[in-house]
Amino acid sequence: AGTGSGELRKNVHARRYRYRAVVFQSGAVVQQLCSVCVFVVTWWYMDAGMLSPQGLFGAALVTSLLGYVLFDAVDGGAGRREKSGRTRWADLKSTLVFAAFTYGFSPVLKTLTESISTDTIYAMSALMLLGHLIFFDYGANAAIVSSTLSLNMAIFASVCLASRLPRSLHAFVMVTFAMQIFALWPMLQKKLKARTPRCYVGVTVLFALAALGGLATVSSVGAVLFASLLLAISCLCPYCLIRLQLLKDNIHGPWDEAEIKEDLSRFLM
Amino acid sequence: MVLKVFFPSCCSSAESGILIGRWISEQNSAVILAVVHFPFIPVQVKQYLSEVQRVTKVSVSVLGSWSNSKQEKEESLSEFLEDLGTIFSHEPWIQISKEGDSKFWSCSTLQKHSNNPKEEEIILVYYDQRKVMLSHLHPPLATATSTDHNADDASKLSAVFDTVAKSKILFMTDRYDDGPIKLTHWQSDGVEASIIVELMKQASVPACMLLTFLLSLISGICRSRVLKFWPLSFLWSKLSTCEQLGHRLQHLQVISSNKKAQNQTQLMRKANIFVSLLIDVALGILLMSWLYRKNRIGHLADTLIPVADHVAEELQDLLQWLMGAPAGLKMNRALDQVLGRFFLYHIHLWISYIHLMSPFIEMILWYVGLSACLGLTVALCILSDIIALLTFHIYCFYVYGARLYCLKIYGLSSLWRLFRGKKWNVLRQRVDSCSYDLDQLFIGTLLFTILLFLLPTTALYYLVFTLVRFNP
Repeated sequence: AGTGSGELRKNVHARRYRYRAVVFQSGAVVQQLCSVCVFVVTWWYMDAGMLSPQGLFGAALVTSLLGYVLFDAVDGGAGRREKSGRTRWADLKSTLVFAAFTYGFSPVLKTLTESISTDTIYAMSALMLLGHLIFFDYGANAAIVSSTLSLNMAIFASVCLASRLPRSLHAFVMVTFAMQIFALWPMLQKKLKARTPRCYVGVTVLFALAALGGLATVSSVGAVLFASLLLAISCLCPYCLIRLQLLKDNIHGPWDEAEIKEDLSRFLM
Repeated sequence: MVLKVFFPSCCSSAESGILIGRWISEQNSAVILAVVHFPFIPVQVKQYLSEVQRVTKVSVSVLGSWSNSKQEKEESLSEFLEDLGTIFSHEPWIQISKEGDSKFWSCSTLQKHSNNPKEEEIILVYYDQRKVMLSHLHPPLATATSTDHNADDASKLSAVFDTVAKSKILFMTDRYDDGPIKLTHWQSDGVEASIIVELMKQASVPACMLLTFLLSLISGICRSRVLKFWPLSFLWSKLSTCEQLGHRLQHLQVISSNKKAQNQTQLMRKANIFVSLLIDVALGILLMSWLYRKNRIGHLADTLIPVADHVAEELQDLLQWLMGAPAGLKMNRALDQVLGRFFLYHIHLWISYIHLMSPFIEMILWYVGLSACLGLTVALCILSDIIALLTFHIYCFYVYGARLYCLKIYGLSSLWRLFRGKKWNVLRQRVDSCSYDLDQLFIGTLLFTILLFLLPTTALYYLVFTLVRFNP
């Protein structure tokens, strides 16, 4: 067998990346990392008793309402009318179902993992949040991406962590907050990214800074490590991608069909 | 030449009379088939014999006389017997006589027309008439014509067999018949038993008819629609007594049916069922006679309540152990407590029920014991039902545990599919991917988490009660 040298081509599907564009796209990863970070920090505050559930619930409610208004304001209600077709009544109903179920199950959640050791719960939550980050839909078209699985893992982790909180109201608020930050917030982000890229960059930077600030109050070492991770993802990784792109060497072209030239009869004897 | 007389052993105690049978002249032997008793009219005897001869194609004739005198030998009788030889002319005339209880018979032959009255040797051969008749040797074999000496002997014997077998019609009448001739042969022995058998045969037909009618009545009641409604039919299928009674009813129907069994297998089946039924009933009555003596039922009832109490105590201990931290397992405390209290309450209910019943248990057992007359198996079935009813709470626990566990496993398996963003496609019988709404996902995952963390508790309860149920 051999190759037809005339039709051989190299790097047919290779794309020319621009540094700024890659940095902009890495914003999605940064955002999701920050979401997880914010969630964990909030849980930490709740567990330590530094954050009252009422306060968190109020803040979350206000930000949700703001986000809801913003969600419609970004595209002037076009997406709601044309794409999803959801009415405001359906939204309200979903919200009520969330609230009612979470509130109803919060006593159960509170006692759910009583007899299981705290380390097991932490390990399970960490694993689930990692799975959430792995399977999240960052906009790449890959087989591993499953937004359902990623969201479910996040909910599972939030339920696990919420069951460690001191009271059932804490658990309720924690799960609600997890719902907002893992389900609603990425939807708003996606829309912002598509409609107003400048605004998106600003929101991302602000969010990252807020997450870093929150982490810094818990552990300064963690904050430094997290900051370096964010920097690496948003600056170093795009640089590496563009540098390594130069070394890409994909060959394309038809394979010649193998021809048998020798006399086969001696094999047959 | 030796004269051989084949004498049926059943006639050895017959009263005096004349011997009838076949004379096989070429073998110089006489096969005696029956004894005709006094009084008889010689003409009628001859007529009868010729009729027999016509039907059986065997030359039956009067061979001699038989005297069985209980008292002293009377001269006149022996003379009379000798005179008979002149009426029934047969050559030679055999005279066999037996005196009282002595074991010695005298046997002599009379040859009137012979000029040389030499002393002949006589061999008296006893034979069992019934066995000879029923044995399948008598059709003369084709090989009997061969010149071989052994075969010749065989044909000699087979002639005897053949004679007995062919003269079946002779055995149809006996001395109890009203005919002019009284006979003794194998059929006349044990005639009382055969009369009883005959009577039973006669009686069994109306008995069977009555039984069939009663059985059809009972089965009709059993099949009526009132008993077929849901809770009742479910109950019947669970009680082994009802199953056993149903089997018994079928067996009785098979036995009492008027139809004749078509082949040997069915006949054997019927007989088998009949015998098993008889043995069963006999054993049942034996059990009953044992039970109702010396107030054994009272003792039984007295021991039953403490046993039930003891079982309940054991179960309570088991539940207390489960409500703690059994084997160091990490159970969900709240669910554990709920389940444990539920089961404890159940036991409490059960025990109070048993104590409420305790004054009546002896009476119930007394009446239940009566059912043993229907057969041992019925009694055993009722016993098994009683034990099942007394341990009903254990069964209930098992059912609750199993149902809860089943629900949990089923829910977990479908929620696990939801967790992965898949669903079960019923039409194609496979797992498809599916896009769920946000609220569906949320509630599904919430339930999944809860069920997952409660699974060990339920599984433990299920395991323990399954072990208790199948390994009490």
